[in-house]
Amino acid sequence: MNVQTPHTADITNVDESLALQEAQAKMDSQFATDVAMQNTLLTPRFYTTDFDQLDAIDVSPVRKDWDALIAEMEADPNKGHFKKNEDWDEVDWEGMEPGLKKEFIDFLISSCTAEFSGCVLYKEMKRRGKNGDIVQLFQLMARDEARHAGFINDALREAGVAVNLGFLTQKKKYTFFQPKFIYYATYLSEKIGYARYITIYRHLEAHPEHRFHPIFKWFLEWCGDEFRHGEAFALLMKTDPKLTSGRNVLWIKFFLTAVYATMYVRDHQRPEFHKALGVDPDWYAHSVFTKTSALTEQIFPITLDIEHPRWQPTLERLHRANVGIAEGKSEGGLSGRLKSWANSARAALCFVQLYTIPANKHRVPQSTRLEPVY
Amino acid sequence: MGLLTREIERAPCTVEISHKFESLHAHVRFNNGAVVNPGDEVTVQGPEIMAPFGEVVSEDREAIILRASKLEQLWTRLTGDLEVMELCEFSFSEEVTL
Repeated sequence: MNVQTPHTADITNVDESLALQEAQAKMDSQFATDVAMQNTLLTPRFYTTDFDQLDAIDVSPVRKDWDALIAEMEADPNKGHFKKNEDWDEVDWEGMEPGLKKEFIDFLISSCTAEFSGCVLYKEMKRRGKNGDIVQLFQLMARDEARHAGFINDALREAGVAVNLGFLTQKKKYTFFQPKFIYYATYLSEKIGYARYITIYRHLEAHPEHRFHPIFKWFLEWCGDEFRHGEAFALLMKTDPKLTSGRNVLWIKFFLTAVYATMYVRDHQRPEFHKALGVDPDWYAHSVFTKTSALTEQIFPITLDIEHPRWQPTLERLHRANVGIAEGKSEGGLSGRLKSWANSARAALCFVQLYTIPANKHRVPQSTRLEPVY
Repeated sequence: MGLLTREIERAPCTVEISHKFESLHAHVRFNNGAVVNPGDEVTVQGPEIMAPFGEVVSEDREAIILRASKLEQLWTRLTGDLEVMELCEFSFSEEVTL
């Protein structure tokens, strides 16, 4: 057992952490061989990007903010946070209502996969990059993601779910994303992740009786990592004004719409989870969108008009269309297929209706950096 | 690399899997400096590598890289972006019902 060695959550550097882990004695494999555990294969995707373009980034225009952010990340304010302590209450998995348990495990597995995929992506960028600033950033972000994934994984083990990392020996096809799409998607993902975690955290602060699992207590510091990662991507985009102007604004609007709409649909597919938290998913979505819009004003020249009369009803129709697609697929046969197609067309139309709501425009501030205030 | 032909390349690699509380991660590193390009397929040879909880497993293996043809590479570069939404995190899987 790894009793004598320091906890790697206390270590700042990924390589140092890896070296320590390798040096540690191999411990028992009781859990891995425990056939009673549900086995979940993690399936992250593998990407390549234009690494030359990444190396060409020059952070000089934002050097002051950049250095301050990197220093903050190097100081590692969350070092040691992702450990179980006396705040980690006993979870009554047996007594948990089956519907809630299913949805909550889906939440844990999806979150773990997301953190894990983030780690794979960032580590790949770190490995292939030659630009010192960029390499350093991705190394630090990979450290955080691996830590988060490990923490969620432990909660999953308590629930009797073992993640299987055997995917590496399976055939993997490497797809390709342009760097700018990686910036838009991951920036938004980190910022909306912050908004999601902090909204749940503040809600449970006011209503602790709804906190059905201790992991929510860790969300405050956790979302600090998400926030900092988002800041880093905002600064990266700030180095090249073309990324947030001209035709790229249409891409930004596309990503905002797609991310908001997907979040709305997915959350509404998990009613038991939200009921247990005492959260109305419509209120939650609106609250998260409002925060995310306020944050993304730091770099994006537009925000979505979520108060527009067409916004909410279209999201609701999109959700219903999505349910219709799944129903058609499970019904099968010709009528099922027709139902599924008709609803796919409906969903596409909803997306167009959301995308064409005129966006709110504003002047992007000179200075990009923000502090988490929610 | 041919316009339509795929080539097979073998590369020694190190697979590292950390299944620890503090860090859950997994990576493949090619030890001969091989670089994966869009559309390439990589298969690590040998049985599945399992790291029991609490362990970091590092194994040297051989990887087979099936190089995409020039045309496939171009196609992946042009269309890969369509899947970019995968990079977004939504806390839940896309399954409508569980």
